[in-house]
Amino acid sequence: MKEIMKTGIILFLICAVSAGLCGIVNSVTAPVIAENLIREREAALAVAAGEYTVGDEVAIDTPNANVAYTILDGDEVAGYVFELNANGYGGAMTIIASYYPDGELISAQLTTNSETPGLGKNAENSWYMDMFRGLGGENPLPVTSSDLSADDAAAVSGATVTFTGVSTALRNGSELAKSLGGGV
Amino acid sequence: MSAHMKELTKGLFKENPTFIIMLGMCPTLGVSTQVSNALGMGLSVIFVLTFSNMAISALRKIIPDTIRIPSYIVIIASFVTIVEMVLHAYVPSVYSALGVYLPLIVVNCIILGRAEAFANKNTVLDSALDGIGMGVGFTMSLTLISLIREVLGSGTITLFAVGGFDGVIEIPLLNESPIGVLTLASGALLVMGYLKAFFQWKSSRGKK
Repeated sequence: MKEIMKTGIILFLICAVSAGLCGIVNSVTAPVIAENLIREREAALAVAAGEYTVGDEVAIDTPNANVAYTILDGDEVAGYVFELNANGYGGAMTIIASYYPDGELISAQLTTNSETPGLGKNAENSWYMDMFRGLGGENPLPVTSSDLSADDAAAVSGATVTFTGVSTALRNGSELAKSLGGGV
Repeated sequence: MSAHMKELTKGLFKENPTFIIMLGMCPTLGVSTQVSNALGMGLSVIFVLTFSNMAISALRKIIPDTIRIPSYIVIIASFVTIVEMVLHAYVPSVYSALGVYLPLIVVNCIILGRAEAFANKNTVLDSALDGIGMGVGFTMSLTLISLIREVLGSGTITLFAVGGFDGVIEIPLLNESPIGVLTLASGALLVMGYLKAFFQWKSSRGKK
């Protein structure tokens, strides 16, 4: 009994000291982490808005997007910018994308991802998102790589899962822009 | 002094954790797609390994034998959590690149292996030197694998962005037609196999 008590107390003390240390470090780093995330998101939103300015946050109720803001041309609402959720080969990805109210894609940028360098990671490049730019309004966004031109299809081959993830997320964003645009 | 030096240098080649003792294969194969990931992972392992070795060595007479494994895991997990929070706050790019492999350092065989095989039998100084040596050996191996995989597999060398330099060196020719398979999991195993064979040949040649 005495042995068990002694063992238990030692293990408790090790845990208590460890937890205390983690708590102290967390109190220092947590505000910095929160600040970084806000700054990163703001910078990405501003880039996606391009020539327009980022307006107010819009309340949305969908698992496809985390946040939505209006983008303004002067005082007029020119469109929307979303942080979209996507599923890639390496797990969850996020895409910051802006749309006109009719669902046409203005610009998009893949942010958080764990895709394979040289294959899926190519989606971080601007030429990748150029394949989708201007689509989603009158002309539909591609569903599979067979909807692309031969050159573009060759560029995404080898990373089909990434392509499907990106195109699905962008189509969800387009639908979301249309649904929000109808109410304005 | 020479005995202490031996503890420091044995991890580099003679008892290299990756190629000779074959410990910690999972993160080695997983994060070695980019040089920057390898360096970030390596530095994190050096830090965790050194401090967990020191803590475990200092507590080796206090921790009863029956609960040594849970104690080691709590100590190691605390250091890993600290590294994770610090990286997340100050080097977010490395934090996101390392992803799931960072928390997995907790159960990295190198760290638990050194705690069990070395730190609980030796002094704090020797354990610290062992931790640094093994950590540096691991970092060197990881960097070597990732250098081969990244240069041949995607034709780039990704380091850290400093000032005007964006952190990516592109290698002419290879950048246009890389050997894509090397960036995949099978490429990691292939490179690992060839390097292991090379080290085996080197060490067997030395004996004759």
